[in-house]
Amino acid sequence: MSAESDGKRSDLVQSIERWAASLPDTVALRFEGEAITYEALNRRANRVANGLQGMGVEKGDRVAIMLPNIPEFVYALVGTLKLGAVAVPFNTLYKGGEILHILKDSGAKVLIALTNFAPMINEIRPELPALEQVILTGERNLLFAHPESTAFLQLILQRGLIKDVDGAYRKVGDIVLTVMKALGVKEAWYKHRGSIRVRGDKIATFVISEVEGLALINVVFFLGPMDTGDFLRVAWVPPEIRDKVVEPLTSVEQETGHRPPWDQVKETVAAALEEGFQVEIKEGSFVRDELFAYEKLRSLAYKAR
Amino acid sequence: MTWKIFSRKKHKEPWRLIFRPHGDMADIMALPGAVLEGQIAGRYLLSSTVTPGTVILQGVSRKGILAGVDVAIDHEAATEHDVDVAYQPRSGRASLRPAETVNFEEMMLKAGDEFVSVGRNPDDLACILYTSGTTGRPKGVKLAIKNFVSEHQSTAKALDVTRKDKIIGVLPFFHVFGLSNILHLGLIHGASIVLVPQYSPGSLLKTIMENHPTLIMAIPTMFVHLLAVLERRKVRLPESIRLCVSGAAPLPKDIIEAFEKCSGCRVLEGYGLTETASACCLNPPHGLCKAGSIGVPLAGFEMKIVGADGQELPPGEVGEIAVRGEGVTAGYYNLPEETNEAFKDGWFLTGDIGYQDRDGYFFITDRKKEIIIKGGLNISPREVEEVLLGHPAVKEAAVMGRKKGEREEIVAFVTTKGEISAKALISHCRQALSSFKVPDAICFMEALPMSVTGKVLKKELTDDYRDERRIRRKEIGPGPVD
Repeated sequence: MSAESDGKRSDLVQSIERWAASLPDTVALRFEGEAITYEALNRRANRVANGLQGMGVEKGDRVAIMLPNIPEFVYALVGTLKLGAVAVPFNTLYKGGEILHILKDSGAKVLIALTNFAPMINEIRPELPALEQVILTGERNLLFAHPESTAFLQLILQRGLIKDVDGAYRKVGDIVLTVMKALGVKEAWYKHRGSIRVRGDKIATFVISEVEGLALINVVFFLGPMDTGDFLRVAWVPPEIRDKVVEPLTSVEQETGHRPPWDQVKETVAAALEEGFQVEIKEGSFVRDELFAYEKLRSLAYKAR
Repeated sequence: MTWKIFSRKKHKEPWRLIFRPHGDMADIMALPGAVLEGQIAGRYLLSSTVTPGTVILQGVSRKGILAGVDVAIDHEAATEHDVDVAYQPRSGRASLRPAETVNFEEMMLKAGDEFVSVGRNPDDLACILYTSGTTGRPKGVKLAIKNFVSEHQSTAKALDVTRKDKIIGVLPFFHVFGLSNILHLGLIHGASIVLVPQYSPGSLLKTIMENHPTLIMAIPTMFVHLLAVLERRKVRLPESIRLCVSGAAPLPKDIIEAFEKCSGCRVLEGYGLTETASACCLNPPHGLCKAGSIGVPLAGFEMKIVGADGQELPPGEVGEIAVRGEGVTAGYYNLPEETNEAFKDGWFLTGDIGYQDRDGYFFITDRKKEIIIKGGLNISPREVEEVLLGHPAVKEAAVMGRKKGEREEIVAFVTTKGEISAKALISHCRQALSSFKVPDAICFMEALPMSVTGKVLKKELTDDYRDERRIRRKEIGPGPVD
């Protein structure tokens, strides 16, 4: 019995399982020079199914998938279907309000997305009681920086210091909000999980990450208007969807009429951190091991792929 | 107020501030990356110095992009626009994981290779796909396993798909066109799919040239872009391509002709909806292909034109397109009323207005909800749009109705490729249209808002359009108690 003649009424899962058994070396997907066979596809989909099952996903549960066309999309979809769960794929261009609606309406138990979207998902997560797990994939980062328009603040702390992630989001958010108010943005507001806004527009954003025994808090402040035109020409985006790629942003300069000088930013940030964490902050420099790592990472960062 | 979030030590070490307002793009990643590496490695390998808390505050002195490995970067454009591009290196260590999330790769590593698929019925839901209607928020379309099975059977038969095929996977899989007619169709029939995660005309052409596909499924804007690149570079597409299929929005006849001439490939236009698990109608690959037509119903689908009373209309008469078949959805998730309204006697009412000719070919004229009613007369936006597009200076046009006080007026949103005044465009319309169809206002735009599949999003042009990208304070409910 050949898979071809028998496959007429098969669904996606049955077909892939059949191809994996009968023609394991046939290429199913090609991605960035890699050829993924039906056997490998089926095995990885099994791993997703096992992983999701381990998280308590059962037949009929909704699994939201917010991914572009990368192999992980296919593994996630097939794995979800193998479990008898319902896949809810949705547009990777969707932003806050739209995602909130889809995740709420579908009652998704799990969301699989790119790491890039972590800050956005974080912000709406408290509104989604049904969402038990967020699974992130890829080291995909798209970050713009512009002289005088962006300031980056990174806090590296011992992970054990943070007892409660939700509380940490609240605390850091309050500190960032304090910075914004001190810089004259009176209308700024913060509710939870990573975005400080003026009206509906973002003026600062942050995410708390973990690696081994450390916690990293990454904050981006928008000090002046961001000209995204250059970046959109470099990272090609069709003109008609440009508005959807970049979230509506505002900045200290747009809100107050002037861009704060760096010294003021430094003092304001340091004061807010000292006050918020009840700690003394001193100017310092790299220690030996860090200098070594810096040289290595920096040379890697500009190495084109 | 006391915070119990952060543990306190009695004699806290001061934190260290590393301040660099004029760094460069790589520093944004490399500075904190270095501290992390130093702290992690320091504990195990290099030295015994465990650094205290670190605060890094920095900016850049030049424009820059920090890109992930899969972000398509145009290096020529980067040089031209003076933008530094840095890539995030993959460190040997586990990468940063946002707090309270699971890493996909870690989950895969820990899970077993074997899984016995859970038994499912054809009526069980496979997907819920959200579609943005012309009004309101996205609706979830319920698609059962049997809908996808019926759809892949219909399209595989029409396009003769086998495991010899290699399909370009540029259409997003989160959209029904890519999900049904690339992912399902390809993998069920043992074909291979070349994934294009980030569309650009250049990356699409490069993928096609390098991979020698047999089938290309794309949307009109992609064919338009491809055509321009092919003409500019004076190249033809590989001989391996046996067919191109266009859908999701109308592809103008002259573009089809120019593309076929320039590429040497045939382009078939089809029609489908999320509610029909994608294509339900297609110009036949081996039969008569009618320009401007969406073709004939695919095997497994029935289509007809109905009047306002739901009665079938004879060929040539304009009405609403209705579809029936195993590929058609059972309805909308959590929306029983909308589901009821969308079906009549087992037929799904598509909301598209059109007619059928004597050979059984279907033609679409308008979206039902977009028809403008002015002074009791029906006006087809598409008719007005076509007249506008007939002017050499007009690039794109979207025509819609707008309430002005008590009366409805016709507004035309246009993008241009030459100098033209509103007055001149209106007089151009006067020559071709009855006076009641002539736009009352012309709005010149830099670009029309479009969906990923190239449909003009008219709702975004209305005065009361709510930008759903924004999160409004009152919408996210009360914050946590503090």
